[in-house]
Amino acid sequence: MVENMTQKQQMYDIAIIGAGVTGLAAAMYAGRMKLKTVLIGFPPGGTIATTDWIENYPGFISLSGKELADKITAHAMEYDIELVSDTVTEVTRQKNCFVVLTAFSRYPAKTVLFATGTRHRKLPVPGAETFEGKGVQFCGLCDGPLFQDKTVAVVGGGDSAAKEALILAQFAKKVYVLVRGDQLTGEPVNNERVARNAKIVVVPNTGVTRIDGDTSVRKVVLGAPYRGSKELILDAVFVAIGSVPMAELATKLGAARNEKGEILINRRSETNIPGLYAAGDVTDTEFKQAITGVAEGVSAVYHAYQYVTGEFVCTCIDLDYLDCPVASQDLRRAPS
Amino acid sequence: MSQSVVPVIEIPEPIRNTVQKRFAKELVGKVRLVFFSQEMECQFCAQTRELMQQVAGWSDKITLEVRDFVRNKDEAKALGIDKIPALAVLGEKGSRIRFFGVPSGYEFQTLTDAIVFVSSGKTQMPAAAVAELNRVATKPIHIQVLVLPTCPVCPVVASLAVQLALTNENVTTHVVEIAEFPQLATRYHVVGIPRVVINETTQFEGLVPLAEFLRHIQRAVQGSPTGVSATI
Repeated sequence: MVENMTQKQQMYDIAIIGAGVTGLAAAMYAGRMKLKTVLIGFPPGGTIATTDWIENYPGFISLSGKELADKITAHAMEYDIELVSDTVTEVTRQKNCFVVLTAFSRYPAKTVLFATGTRHRKLPVPGAETFEGKGVQFCGLCDGPLFQDKTVAVVGGGDSAAKEALILAQFAKKVYVLVRGDQLTGEPVNNERVARNAKIVVVPNTGVTRIDGDTSVRKVVLGAPYRGSKELILDAVFVAIGSVPMAELATKLGAARNEKGEILINRRSETNIPGLYAAGDVTDTEFKQAITGVAEGVSAVYHAYQYVTGEFVCTCIDLDYLDCPVASQDLRRAPS
Repeated sequence: MSQSVVPVIEIPEPIRNTVQKRFAKELVGKVRLVFFSQEMECQFCAQTRELMQQVAGWSDKITLEVRDFVRNKDEAKALGIDKIPALAVLGEKGSRIRFFGVPSGYEFQTLTDAIVFVSSGKTQMPAAAVAELNRVATKPIHIQVLVLPTCPVCPVVASLAVQLALTNENVTTHVVEIAEFPQLATRYHVVGIPRVVINETTQFEGLVPLAEFLRHIQRAVQGSPTGVSATI
């Protein structure tokens, strides 16, 4: 039997939820500010780790998403922070404290930063769920080599769809991009790359209404005919129709959201709940980029630092299961 | 062993420097890389051997031992090696961790993780997860993690499986580069990765956290076959 790391119960200044670039950059700043920090997230690197190349992060002309995440992780780990690879199941608020629960542990904290990002939006058509993992896929970079010389389709019209098509075209013999609108709406540079790629066929003004197959996907039924037929024979469908903010746990705490389900934040990355912050793709920021998420995360940490050091935050009085070495210090700061 | 002309996988210098620093800091006990090839080397055998020679040169705690799959068939059988190229990562007390195919690309990270875990005898599993694994793994568990070198999320799942094998004596983990063993891709109907196959009865695909991985193991132990569930 091997040893394993033990988790000591103690009060953190900040618990950052989400191990993508936003959370990692926030953790790095929190470490620099000497905040007692735990970063909890799964998977390491977050969504960007499944991106083939990043060309719009300042300082790096081109690098893979995994490389960027690894670099920020390494930078963060230069400081005294705790990195936990786990999924958060619940966040509760007790007095002014937060308690972050995971499958295997709990982390009491004075402040919490949600950097939980988004999950893939699923295609709401018959067959999509049945064939998920059997030809309905979400990661071209992961699964593209399995479709060498096959025919595949990407469903979606945004930048993610364009990039997914470009990745898949490295392997597949033909890549259809099924766009609901009349054209791709991704970054112009990627749209141009798609247009130049002889393997990629953009099919505008259509969508998928059904996915059929046997042991795996064999065809899709289109909303509008393409070359006289509503059926398209293919081997896989890669879904890139946007994402859903992972804000459920924040909502349970009472965090305000907009109609898209995104957490509302101000320029200080504060939510409507004192001590609760949010940053990155999970928020209502319109232009969602790695760089904007990182900036929001850093801003959140700065204001969390002010909150923790400048105000009465919380004590461990009601959290008597804790070994809480900072309790007495907090009590001295408590208003009389 | 014949020396065929193959493109050598050169680990980029920044990665090599990072791994060497990690080895210097985290390796504790000796690690034996026991590599299986054969007289007429398989398509990827020479590449894998060259790569292992590089890795073994990065720390004096790592040794490489090259075996012939045919001539050393008894040892291969004892180590659970049934195809090549194959690599057993063994600590002073052995281990139940095997790699099949070239552990290159993103999969190189899983190999370095495995070397560190085996050498240090430590994993990153929380105590509660260890307890849960020991509770559910009441009989032999054979985990196959099917991966590709181009898959950036595969090492996350493969590394979890490696840690499970180090934690409980009933668990054996095989990390398989699926492009080199297309018969397995056909057998398990693989159209997405990482695909995890447990005891031939339970399968899942994509990124799953440790708690969910343990639930799949429990299903396998209970003999509850499952289809493929995908998560990413």
